[in-house]
Amino acid sequence: MDETDKSSRRDWLATVAMGVGLGLSYGVFALEGLLFLLPRQIKARTRNLFAGKISQIRVGGVRPFFDLEGNEILLRRKTEREFQAFNSTCPHLGCKIHWEEEEQRYFCPCHRGVFDVDGKAVSGPPADGNQNLTPVPLQIDEAAGVIYIEVKAASRRRT
Amino acid sequence: MDLTSKRFIVAALAFLFLASLLLVAYQESKRLRGEQQLDPVVTALNEGCVDCHRRDSPALVMEWEHSQHAIYGVGCVDCHGANQGEVDAWLHEGEYVAALVTPLDCANCHEKQYAEFSQSHHAKAGEILASLDNVLAEKAAGMPGNNADAVNGCWQCHGSIIRFERDEEGQVITVGNENRPVIDADTWPNSGIGRLNPDGSKGSCHACHSRHAFEAKLSRSPENCGKCHMGPDHPQIEIYNESKHGIAFYANRDRMALDTRGDWVLGRDYSAAPTCATCHISSYMTPNGQYTANSHDVGERISWTLRPVVSTLLNSVIYQDGFKEDYPDTRELPEIGDTVETIEKVVENEQLVSRTVPRQVARIVTWEERRQVMKGACLNCHNNTYVDNFYKQFDDLVILYNEKFAKPAKSIMDDLTADGVLNPNAPFEHHVQWVYWELWHHEGRRARHGASMMGPDYTHWHGMYEVSKHFYDEFLPAVIEAARNKSTAMGRKYQQRVDALLAQEEHQWVKGLSPEEGEALREMYQQRYNE
Amino acid sequence: MAELQEKQSSQAGLLHRVSQLFPFDWELVRQASAEPVPYHIKKWWFCLGGTVLYLFVIQVVTGIALTFYYIPSPDQAYQSIAEITQDVRFGWYIRSLHKWASNCMIVAMFLHLLRVYFTGGYRHPRQLNWCIGFLLLGVTLTFGFTGYSLVYEQLSFWGATVGTNLAEAVPLIGPSLAYFLRGGPEVSENTLTRFYVLHIGLLPTLAFVLIFLHVLLIRLHGVTELKFEGEEVPEEARHFRFWPDHATTELLIGVLLMYLLTIMALVFPAGLGEPANPIQTPEHIKPEWYFYFNFRLLQLTSLRVSVVFTMALGAICFLWPFVEEWLTRKFKVSDRVWVMVGVLAFLGFLVLTVWESFV
Repeated sequence: MDETDKSSRRDWLATVAMGVGLGLSYGVFALEGLLFLLPRQIKARTRNLFAGKISQIRVGGVRPFFDLEGNEILLRRKTEREFQAFNSTCPHLGCKIHWEEEEQRYFCPCHRGVFDVDGKAVSGPPADGNQNLTPVPLQIDEAAGVIYIEVKAASRRRT
Repeated sequence: MDLTSKRFIVAALAFLFLASLLLVAYQESKRLRGEQQLDPVVTALNEGCVDCHRRDSPALVMEWEHSQHAIYGVGCVDCHGANQGEVDAWLHEGEYVAALVTPLDCANCHEKQYAEFSQSHHAKAGEILASLDNVLAEKAAGMPGNNADAVNGCWQCHGSIIRFERDEEGQVITVGNENRPVIDADTWPNSGIGRLNPDGSKGSCHACHSRHAFEAKLSRSPENCGKCHMGPDHPQIEIYNESKHGIAFYANRDRMALDTRGDWVLGRDYSAAPTCATCHISSYMTPNGQYTANSHDVGERISWTLRPVVSTLLNSVIYQDGFKEDYPDTRELPEIGDTVETIEKVVENEQLVSRTVPRQVARIVTWEERRQVMKGACLNCHNNTYVDNFYKQFDDLVILYNEKFAKPAKSIMDDLTADGVLNPNAPFEHHVQWVYWELWHHEGRRARHGASMMGPDYTHWHGMYEVSKHFYDEFLPAVIEAARNKSTAMGRKYQQRVDALLAQEEHQWVKGLSPEEGEALREMYQQRYNE
Repeated sequence: MAELQEKQSSQAGLLHRVSQLFPFDWELVRQASAEPVPYHIKKWWFCLGGTVLYLFVIQVVTGIALTFYYIPSPDQAYQSIAEITQDVRFGWYIRSLHKWASNCMIVAMFLHLLRVYFTGGYRHPRQLNWCIGFLLLGVTLTFGFTGYSLVYEQLSFWGATVGTNLAEAVPLIGPSLAYFLRGGPEVSENTLTRFYVLHIGLLPTLAFVLIFLHVLLIRLHGVTELKFEGEEVPEEARHFRFWPDHATTELLIGVLLMYLLTIMALVFPAGLGEPANPIQTPEHIKPEWYFYFNFRLLQLTSLRVSVVFTMALGAICFLWPFVEEWLTRKFKVSDRVWVMVGVLAFLGFLVLTVWESFV
């Protein structure tokens, strides 16, 4: 192998090493940058709030309580093991809906809006606008017999 | 520098950059794994309370913010909320509230704990009104119109009957523009574990789970129990501190995982030492890889009762409605399904009364079974032989105390009463009554408790030594003296009784050791102290 | 064979068709990048201008990334920064890069300025480029000031307050300038919006234009060839190629910077102080270090004196090539005097900065 060969080999090696190094490092940098831009956070910023004990609601019963923003939430035990919760604010014009036991429906007295057990608008103005009740996600801890509602984690407030 | 070398340098730097980026990624993944710290939640329901009380009682609110309750949004009104018409409730800033939070309030969420606690000895701690302890506090130490010794002493551990200030018609007196009912200052504040509450519930969860942070590590710490389980008549905390268990605890507190969320399991979360809670109520691992549930029924694993004059083994009888009674092994057990007259203490018109309730027997747990549950905790660290032999040592001491001192002393005292020497309505009239009282209630308990929890000095010097010294040197002379006070003939009778007792084998040593024993003793002192 | 030829010709045809879509003479690029570079540029301190440019690119990239999450409203600004730092993946890293690159950029810029001054690179016919460069320094410092204020923590909020109060002391236009900057009589929600627009809109545009002019002028004038005393460079080595020789050097500097910035981000990640509280002035207010000399001056003299002094100094520095020419002509001073002036000015800046950092 003569000198030129050797130096061109060295040259080639340097170029390849540089290319691979730069490609990898800036590649990883770009990847981390991309992950930064993707709108996913550490954890869904939700938290569980105590809403009641399973044993405190009979099947078919409704229990109202308030979430962090002060919205009234109607928690209903649908079957032995199924729970549902809806924001009690009518999606039509913001009146308070309530549960009607005899009719097995949610009712808004302002404009006679009617929602079925699953919160689907069935008659009145909400049905015309296809405005269903806003469901609230629940977490059921059967072992402890506790119902939590899942709410957006409040901002980190310094007190 | 030629171009090729420069390229090599660029390559080297690029890899350094890559390495630093990987460090960044590592840092990031470590951060993602870390737990997110949640802030306390003030729900709309509690906003009003917190707004004012953060100013009026800031530390109280801070404590609450420190609690798990606050993390899940359980706040002021959830516990202090009351219904109109309840004796302790008043309308405060638009909500009916009560200052007093009873176990029944806690049971809204903690049902199982309430059920277990309610059938425990702790819940019955307030039912001591008819005991000699109470006589001593209210009569010996107290005076008419001033019950301060009982209020500041007994009741702060045993619990008070919560009473209200009332007018002539029996109506609760209220004060302020919100008409707040006035609680009898003698009965509140009170964090006694057997408190008798106006809603009929017994106990105070706050006794062990101090408000408002309700930190688990507090109730799991031995000091927590030591508030009451201490002193001349039941020095459990001192015995624990003296024991190998206590020594290991204080040295290894940092390894006790006292802050564990949820179940705190011996053999899973910690191993360094057992605390009071560990052996008596907490969860522990079992050989099948599972762990036992903890129980708020504090006496469940106890096989001896070490409190009365004469110790007995304890079986328990559980009735259909969950009510529970301890049956000493000297009392005949009923059959399952039998209906038994049980005695229950309840508060009526702010007074404790006894009530007879027929109940059906659902379950019987023998003292052996109870001991077995306790042994399960021991076996997490010790083997079967070790545990069995420990129980043999412990049992022997209880039997020794029972047979040599407690039973003879009790029999003499019973006879003195039968012979009219002692007046059953004057429990502390004669010297012998005081001596006898301390013999079993202080010294005898110290010896038995000392042996039960491996405190050697409490077993012997604070325990059996005091029992024997006072038995020979104070109790027996005082018996004769009391009898003589009655009549010369009575004095002669009890002199003979004592002589006969001392003639028994176990008491003969008082009149002289055997020649060999005496020689051995002299030799020992000669060798050790050159005397 | 014929098939292959056909394929090749069709490929050539395709290339031709594509180049028709974008009719650019790529030969120009080749020529421009083949510009021979004088030998002395191989010394690292002649690459400081390039370093600043590289850092500027990092700032643009990370800055754009940060705007994806930043919310320029007084209620949410601090919160959004906290979210970037705590919740968004790699948020702390991107933010730390932005912070450290901004500091490095200012350092590199000062060094670049010193290099140009002491090598006389600003003299005829390159006076104008000095002025442009000085404007770029001004733009960069404003970048630093506005960017720091966007964090909306206690210190940066009060920094903005003090800064706009300083502007008020500028003779004649001061009050209206301060009013304009704040968008009102005092620091308010308008101020944050204005700073934000300056930081991500106005200033970058200005910077791009000035950088373009700066580089264009360098190319138009060409680089002076310098010779150092006692250095023998053979004739054929007097120049080297821009591509790939000098480009590799720039690449090297770029990667080195990325490495150092990442290490800085790891060791000293950008923190977050108390949120801004307009009611309570913190006990110790300090601007970023590059304003220390001014801040010290402010405490040594009165507000008005220091502002006027700074402005005069700025004006003199801005027009220095012309001022120097005029002075040289009028007083017949030698080059050594100007070196001394430069050393003294730099020492003065250094002393005030260090002094302030120890107070």
